Amino acid sequence: MPYTRVHAEVHEYDVFARKTRVEPLHQVGSVVAPDDDLAMAYARATYDEERWVEMMIVPKAAIISLWAPGGDS
Amino acid sequence: MRYAEWCIAAPTLEADIAAAAMGLDDIGHSRVLYGSLRELGTPDAAADDAATYANVPYLDRPWTEWTQFVAANAVLDSAFTLMMEALANGSVDVLRTRLKKMLQEERYHTLHGRSWMQEVNAGAALERAWREALAWIGPENSDVDELHRAGRLAYGVRDLRRLLEERLEGQAAPNALEWAGWEPIRRRTQPGGIDQATLEMLQGLAEKRYMPASG
Repeated sequence: MPYTRVHAEVHEYDVFARKTRVEPLHQVGSVVAPDDDLAMAYARATYDEERWVEMMIVPKAAIISLWAPGGDS
Repeated sequence: MRYAEWCIAAPTLEADIAAAAMGLDDIGHSRVLYGSLRELGTPDAAADDAATYANVPYLDRPWTEWTQFVAANAVLDSAFTLMMEALANGSVDVLRTRLKKMLQEERYHTLHGRSWMQEVNAGAALERAWREALAWIGPENSDVDELHRAGRLAYGVRDLRRLLEERLEGQAAPNALEWAGWEPIRRRTQPGGIDQATLEMLQGLAEKRYMPASG
């Protein structure tokens, strides 16, 4: 049975976090949500397993990719 | 507890996880808050059975519809958070520090409830939750207003009602409440109480069944 989403439109967000100020932010996962508010709530609920000093989310659509595995570089 | 019951029943996987996380947050919050009652000069509420356990009627039985979850999240959780803000901004030092982390966590409950309230039509559930939130805040010139006048709570009853309405902007407010039958300790007008199985889990009795016998 195909998975049916309840939201008319959803967006994918990448989640970035770090545990100390001296380490760089790194991607810890992603979430799918209809808006920024819910994406924040989902990111915090899903990736709260560490004592992060910083967490942020970025809409995947805002990321400009220069090259990626499997593509022409 | 009711949030956690939806950890595999919410409409999306992300909402499942959020339900579990918010449920754990709120169990922790309720334990700290119960222990904080004496800081306000209020005796610990007796909670031996369902008739004396202090919970809003909305939580008496498991929810059967996601809209009930959304209404609880958007309305009741907001009302509880506003009371925490009133405590955190009041004059009781220990509460000012103790509630800080709770309010940080509640911010994400607010975002979750507000967003889902726009996604689904929670109609009747929202109205019921709102009425019960107002009953929980209590009538004017009751204990909440007394604590406000004493400076221990930053908000009085009218402030709490107004702030809740602001958080629920665009939703229809319920009619004025009837205060006949309002129980000042349990902060509800309806008789009844929480189901026995949930009460035992909340009291830790369910866990104790698995503890090794002593002696």
